[in-house]
Amino acid sequence: MIDFTINNQKVSAQPGWTVLETARYYGIDIPTLCYHESVKPSGACRLCMVELKEGDWSKLVASCIYPVQEGIDVHTETERVNNVRRWIFEMLLATCPASEEIREMAARYGVVSTQMPVHDPDQNCMVCGLCARVCEEVVGLSAIAVMDRGVHKKIGSPFLRPTDVCVACGCCVSVCPTGAMQSIFDTVRGKPAMEMTQLAV
Amino acid sequence: MYEIANIGVFLCRCGNQIDPHIDLKTLEQTIAGSDHVGHCEILSYPCLQPGVDHITQQIIRKKLNRIIVAGCEGRLMNKKFEKAFADLELHKGQIDMVNLRGHVAAVSDQTAVEKANKSAKLVNAAIAEMTAMRPTQQTMAKIDGPVMVVGDGIASYTAAQSLAQKGIDYFLAVSATDPEAVVRHLHCSYPGERPHYDRIKKIVSDAVTSTHATVIPPGKLTGLSGVTGDYTLRFELDGEESPIKYKSGAIIACLDAQMAAPGPEFGYDGNTVMTQPEMEELMWENGAPKGSILFWVNDDETGQSDFAQLSAITAWHMARHIRECSTHTQTMILYHQDMEIPLSASERVVNRKLGILWIPYDKAIQPTVQDSVVTFCSLTDHVEHELNWDYLVLSPIRLLGKETAATAEILGLVHKEERFLTGHHAKVRPEMVGREETYMAGSARYPCDLQESLNQGRRAGTKTAEMVKNASEGRLRVPRVVCVVDPDLCIGCGQCQELCDCGGIGIVDGTRGGLPRVVDPMVCTGGGTCAAACPYHALTLQNNSNDQREARVASLAGQLAQDEVMAIGCVWGGLPAADNAGKKGLKYDPRVHILGVPCVGQIDPCIMARALMEGAPGVILVGCLPEECHHSYGVDHAWSRVNVIKKLLTLAGFNRQRIALAHADLNKPEEFILTVESFARTIALMGPIPRSADNVEKLESIYDLIRNNTRVRHLLSAGLRRPWEKDYRGDQRHALEYDRDFSAVLEEEYLGQRLVRILADQRQALRLADLAAVLKEDEAHVADCLWGLVTDGAITLSHENREAFYSFMN
Repeated sequence: MIDFTINNQKVSAQPGWTVLETARYYGIDIPTLCYHESVKPSGACRLCMVELKEGDWSKLVASCIYPVQEGIDVHTETERVNNVRRWIFEMLLATCPASEEIREMAARYGVVSTQMPVHDPDQNCMVCGLCARVCEEVVGLSAIAVMDRGVHKKIGSPFLRPTDVCVACGCCVSVCPTGAMQSIFDTVRGKPAMEMTQLAV
Repeated sequence: MYEIANIGVFLCRCGNQIDPHIDLKTLEQTIAGSDHVGHCEILSYPCLQPGVDHITQQIIRKKLNRIIVAGCEGRLMNKKFEKAFADLELHKGQIDMVNLRGHVAAVSDQTAVEKANKSAKLVNAAIAEMTAMRPTQQTMAKIDGPVMVVGDGIASYTAAQSLAQKGIDYFLAVSATDPEAVVRHLHCSYPGERPHYDRIKKIVSDAVTSTHATVIPPGKLTGLSGVTGDYTLRFELDGEESPIKYKSGAIIACLDAQMAAPGPEFGYDGNTVMTQPEMEELMWENGAPKGSILFWVNDDETGQSDFAQLSAITAWHMARHIRECSTHTQTMILYHQDMEIPLSASERVVNRKLGILWIPYDKAIQPTVQDSVVTFCSLTDHVEHELNWDYLVLSPIRLLGKETAATAEILGLVHKEERFLTGHHAKVRPEMVGREETYMAGSARYPCDLQESLNQGRRAGTKTAEMVKNASEGRLRVPRVVCVVDPDLCIGCGQCQELCDCGGIGIVDGTRGGLPRVVDPMVCTGGGTCAAACPYHALTLQNNSNDQREARVASLAGQLAQDEVMAIGCVWGGLPAADNAGKKGLKYDPRVHILGVPCVGQIDPCIMARALMEGAPGVILVGCLPEECHHSYGVDHAWSRVNVIKKLLTLAGFNRQRIALAHADLNKPEEFILTVESFARTIALMGPIPRSADNVEKLESIYDLIRNNTRVRHLLSAGLRRPWEKDYRGDQRHALEYDRDFSAVLEEEYLGQRLVRILADQRQALRLADLAAVLKEDEAHVADCLWGLVTDGAITLSHENREAFYSFMN
């Protein structure tokens, strides 16, 4: 048993648990985007940042990949944490302004606009790579991957062409936190052999 | 220990995504009282490590042997649970999930208690399935005997070389063992590959001289029996009377495509106008020819535009060799304007140096072959130009040779809809198939150059070696959800084998017909349309059996209210569409209850009948898009099965729209909603089937008929077809005749079924008039049917006071 506190509440965890898992076990809410229960955490979106206090000094860590330690003092709703969250949401609003899901979530945390420059107003992918991780860990394939580096980073199949590796299981669509995979998916699995007429929704 | 289910049900709060929407406390109380539920509990996040640890403790403490997690998508989470509980003897199939979040919580505006009620129905159905489940032990595959490299393709040598390097014994069935001889005839399948000849010689001598090699004469493959790990292959040799048998553990097929001459419109004569392999032969015999040589990449004209680049690079290699041998020879390559020149930068440098001309032609006008001249329309000026030739070299027609096709057929590599042996049709997750892939290499798989063929051979060899190593170390798992045949029930009709899309069903011994079938568990993808088609229920999908699905469907159908409908979605189409609808928070009719199955093709028609019998007002099957079935034909077969239930409903006087088949794309949840809502509305208008004794008897007869009547089941599975198939078998010459005949058989058998049921229930002899009155049918009609039953021996006829009495004698 490892005992520590989250928001001054005493909690105990088993070795191997992360701070996020422990918090959720005790019903403490920490927002996440790139986290999914079916795969290993990667700490890509940084939205799950929490503050670890040690005396006068404190540090911010990504709770989804931070293993629990004896006696740590975790805070999930401090000024510093909220500030970081706001910045992350502002950056996300600039990265993927077309994502309905991101806009809704940001609004819940009081962020409705961004100060950052928006390069592509139609972008809805935040390039967290969750889809690629699910494809690899859950499905056992690598039909999609994160390509390129830095600002050119994007998600897709090799050469952005439909691939035979994809079995069209749709796991990536189901986990995508921004709803971007819905359009990317069709470029990965390819066109269906027989297209049915689009229904008037 | 596994036979009796002790089920643990864990209800997930999922943060705030399930808890306030569904009254979990009520749900827990409902579930905890159910039979076979050893434990029921609400957890915050059962899927996170704390939750998994908690469930583990409960499994140990309460000796749970089945787990149901009611939370979210099983497609995503099952694997994590399977991994976590593998040490506790809980494997795939023993862990099930119900998507409360996606199918209940998010999709309607019902109250929390109403939603708990709906959830209880779905969870109870899952409990019924788990109770009916008979888990098998996890087995490991064994591979006995050397690997057989068969087919005599050039890839045989690289496959063999890789096996030799990994220390695996193999049989090498090749016609040539002398490296020189191999190289001498290589151009028949792979023209223009001279630069590789030295390498090939080395590969051949390695493969043939290895201590692991046993070279056998290739002969003609006439038979294959057994399963992965224990095959018997039979070869027929010229001059030998009886075939030679070889025992082998694994097979690598190395087959090359054949090259044929194009038609007369290109002026082909084999002397001056020839194909690329023939030019190579000429070069072997006479050396590089002199004069002007024109290569025409005419694949577009012969309908093989996919292989134009391959032919072009072959032509270039040959032209290059000719130019290097004799600088006086002029070489030109005439090509279709849409084709990109397949040369690398360094090859372009060589090309310039050697002065090989690449001449594109306008695709609007096909070049014409004349004596010593080919005319073509130039792209630069639209003028008809002429090219002189002394030799005109055409692209070969690439096709599967007759012998290759026969061998491939025996090895189970042929798929009806493909020109080449492109491999598996099933698009499933890798863990669903024991053998990662079909070990096949060579240009018969798909036309390719020598390098690609050799690579494929090397890959097949390495992968097979890996498989054999894994098997010898006891690490090669047999997938858990595969078909097994009960040899006592199987009569060897072979319909399953015809339907199987994965090639996993074979015969026990070499001859055809009348012998029980056997399933290769390493090849079976668990599609299960074969099991649903078996007239005798001899095939079972283990860990995902017909009984399980029937129990689940029956349980849900029994709980449905009068206006509620059941939607059975396949895990590749309908189910994920429903999941995604829930994820996006789309609202739809809460009367729709969704069940998941791995493929709608698995649903035996008796399950559809059972659902209606148990009280479901309507059942809709939601499968993949047409031609997108992941088990190739499952959705097409489901169509035929739905259709037979529709016919029976009409016969019984019910509305045939109570059962339907629909197609869904997982990426279009909005359309899925339209589908299920439209069905729910149709059923709401119809109302439920009144549960009068008469109606119940009719529904039970339908169920009995479709479950136990082998004539109907035979006819149904023999008639399973794909929408575009043109030939009708037997006497039925067209669609209508087939349909009418089928309806007539159904009518006859349905009446017979009802008569037998009534006589069996009454336990006394009845007169014709009484029976006709009970059934409300025409007397003459009933008399015919009774006579048929008497001659079949199903019922007995006795006379009393000059009146005929019919009775059921069991």
